[in-house]
Amino acid sequence: MRDKVAVIGVGCTQFGDLFEKSYEELICDAAFEAYADAKIDPKDIQAAYLGTYLPGPGGGKSATSLGDALRLYDRPISRVENYCATGTDAFRNACLAVASGTYDIVLVVGAEKLKDRPGRGLPRFGHPLLAKGNSAPGLFALAANRYMHTFKIGRDVLAKVAVKNHYNGARNPRAHLRMEITEEKVLRAPIIAWPFGLFDCCPTTDGAAAAIVCRADWAKRFRDDFVLVKGVGLAVTAGRPYFDPTFDYLGFRSTQQAARQAYEMAGIAPRDVDFAEVHDCFTWTELSNMEDLGFCAKGEAGYWVKEGRTWLSGDLPINPSGGLKSFGHPIGASGVRMIYECVMQLQGRCGERQVKNAEIGLAHNVGGPGAVSCVVILGLPS
Amino acid sequence: MVGIAKHSAYVPRLRMSRTEIARAWGRASSDEGEVAVAKYDEDAFTLAVEAALTCIESMPQPPGALLFASTSAPYFEKQLSAFVATVCDLPRKTLCCDFGGSARAGLQALVAADAMIKSGRVDSCLVAAGDSRPALPESEGEGVLGDAAAAFVVARDQVVAELVGSASVSEEFTYFWRTAASPFVSGYLGKFSQTHGYVRDMAEAINALLAEAGLKPKDIAKLACHAPEPRAAVDLARKLGLDPKEQLGPLVTSAIGSAGTAECLLALGAVLDEAEPGQWILAAAFGEGADAILLRTTALVAEGRAGNPWKHWLDAKQHLPSYQKYLKYRGMFRDNEGGEVITNVLEHKELAQNVRLHGSRCKSCGMVQYPMAQVCISCRMAGNTEEVRLSRAGTIFTYTMDYLIPNVEHPLPMAVVDLEGGGRLYLQVTDFAEGEVDVGRPVTLTFRRLHEGGGNYNYFWKARPVR
Repeated sequence: MRDKVAVIGVGCTQFGDLFEKSYEELICDAAFEAYADAKIDPKDIQAAYLGTYLPGPGGGKSATSLGDALRLYDRPISRVENYCATGTDAFRNACLAVASGTYDIVLVVGAEKLKDRPGRGLPRFGHPLLAKGNSAPGLFALAANRYMHTFKIGRDVLAKVAVKNHYNGARNPRAHLRMEITEEKVLRAPIIAWPFGLFDCCPTTDGAAAAIVCRADWAKRFRDDFVLVKGVGLAVTAGRPYFDPTFDYLGFRSTQQAARQAYEMAGIAPRDVDFAEVHDCFTWTELSNMEDLGFCAKGEAGYWVKEGRTWLSGDLPINPSGGLKSFGHPIGASGVRMIYECVMQLQGRCGERQVKNAEIGLAHNVGGPGAVSCVVILGLPS
Repeated sequence: MVGIAKHSAYVPRLRMSRTEIARAWGRASSDEGEVAVAKYDEDAFTLAVEAALTCIESMPQPPGALLFASTSAPYFEKQLSAFVATVCDLPRKTLCCDFGGSARAGLQALVAADAMIKSGRVDSCLVAAGDSRPALPESEGEGVLGDAAAAFVVARDQVVAELVGSASVSEEFTYFWRTAASPFVSGYLGKFSQTHGYVRDMAEAINALLAEAGLKPKDIAKLACHAPEPRAAVDLARKLGLDPKEQLGPLVTSAIGSAGTAECLLALGAVLDEAEPGQWILAAAFGEGADAILLRTTALVAEGRAGNPWKHWLDAKQHLPSYQKYLKYRGMFRDNEGGEVITNVLEHKELAQNVRLHGSRCKSCGMVQYPMAQVCISCRMAGNTEEVRLSRAGTIFTYTMDYLIPNVEHPLPMAVVDLEGGGRLYLQVTDFAEGEVDVGRPVTLTFRRLHEGGGNYNYFWKARPVR
């Protein structure tokens, strides 16, 4: 599939506590921005994919939320839901649809309206007895504690990730939490699920993002600075890793396998990546992701962070957008938002947070926790 | 010979001091005593399960019958002996009965067990008694009632104390009661109830037993008795011609509060802990009359205790930090997380897994997994697994202390636990003190009330640090 699909337009709403916006308005804002960016008419869209964890209040467990919001009818629309990898997986499906030759131009939208819901946005699904008492931070904290116990690192290293991502997010006008924070503030915040304090956790956010993909040989019709899809990967591992006696809790096999697939398809190695948008739902997750994506060896991410190598000025900027930590994390929207960031970075449209000389960017989601991972590699035409 | 083969105790870790209760209500108190308090995830049923599991895990064969006794069972309608038997993974053919009504129901279950065996119906019988009786805040009973459980195995083999005889006295006498409409136990505490109820009836039953056996008071090594008001037990001993200092066994009420149906059994267990072979021992309990049994210890008496001896339970304690916490644990405020309804379809389908603690063992590679699965998570071999009961002993692989998830209190520790012999579970941790939840910490699985849903209680396994 390498170089067969191009991204010709992206859109993204403001992320945040969007109390005045509806689910449908978010979809419209993101999609129409992408239409304008690609300079195409909505009627040119042949198929669409909606990445959403929880559909809008008017839509059921289907793709109608997207069709109704955009009045995009009589076309194939599929809803993709795959935990926190929902957005990137929706994008991946759109790319496969184009690469198969079935469609020429496909719309992808990721949208989530968590703030309209009780229980911090995420209703609990799952077994009424087994794993009762789990929370999203609590599940990732299991891995963080085992990792920190094994590699002897402290909460101060995690805090440095938050400080860096808030620094980047403060320079991103569409980010949810646009303020810089200090390491001391991170360490003194109330504990949410040990070892995570408030600032180790991404916020609960509303937002939507969109991307339009088309067959690569048509891309020039829409713009000169189109971006090519180099590789995609998706891997599903144990949905309840906490019952898997073989799981070492030091990283996520789903990310390792999804990354392997994507690198292989793209024909590149991890060192060829110029910047990455990785799934920093919690500070520790960013460390693990860096290792699972092959940027450094297991247990070494902490040193990279301490040495500042992942800052905008470093040799591998991670989450120049501010990441989930600062930009926010509307579940299904996040992955498409990462695609938006990668495209904007590769096109040199990111202003203060621009990564210099970026030719290859990587987007990564992981959810479950660790059960599902999706990796997308984007690059400029060579 | 029929008698006691094994006995175990369970006392919840938490204690509330009587001075703290008095302080909460603006009263002065010189009473240094305390009562044992069930945690918010414990009730009379789970307390009894703890004691029953300890006994059963020490038995070579499962008992033929299981008798559950309580006056404060969490259900009016639902046979909890059958539920205890299921948690203990006993076979479906086990004969199960519930006993209740008054504090002497625990001892009466022991008497019934003896009769069941002597009748030839079963060879061994497990008696599990648990009580967690609620007292009205600021009432006299608040510093009197304590929570605990005991379990006894009565059998033909490996007898540590032979059941030589029993006697019973029954006549209406109002001392402690709880109407169907009241959540709280009431009592006419004081001198009259002690002399004209407790001492009169207990002495009558015990004297009848001694007369039948042809024994004199000096022949008795110890009297183990239920004694809601400790002073009455001393009066009873004197009336019987026993020396209260030498012949009266440990008074449970003085140590942890009056423990209802479990009290007499706990006292008997404490006596057996210290007994020598060949001694005569009496046990008696009161409630609209009294029951008494006479035992003679055998050469095996030192081997009767399953799990920790009585003295351990007195030391293994943790003080509740405040009266408010005590009220919360007592369920005086609405506080539990809203739980999901568990249909009886789901319960039925997953009973072996969720209650019997069964997992799947791969017959190809030996991997044990939980929850049960058809395909091995290690070698991916399909249709080649067998059902096995998992061990309750394990070690924390990793954990978190969660302050976010709705719960009665925070933090709520969640742990990934690797069990001895295989199987990895992910569970809530209960009965922990600061610093006790950590990677590598040994834990025991315990069956607790998890949450309420659809007007029913949902029970499941939790982990507690070994102490």
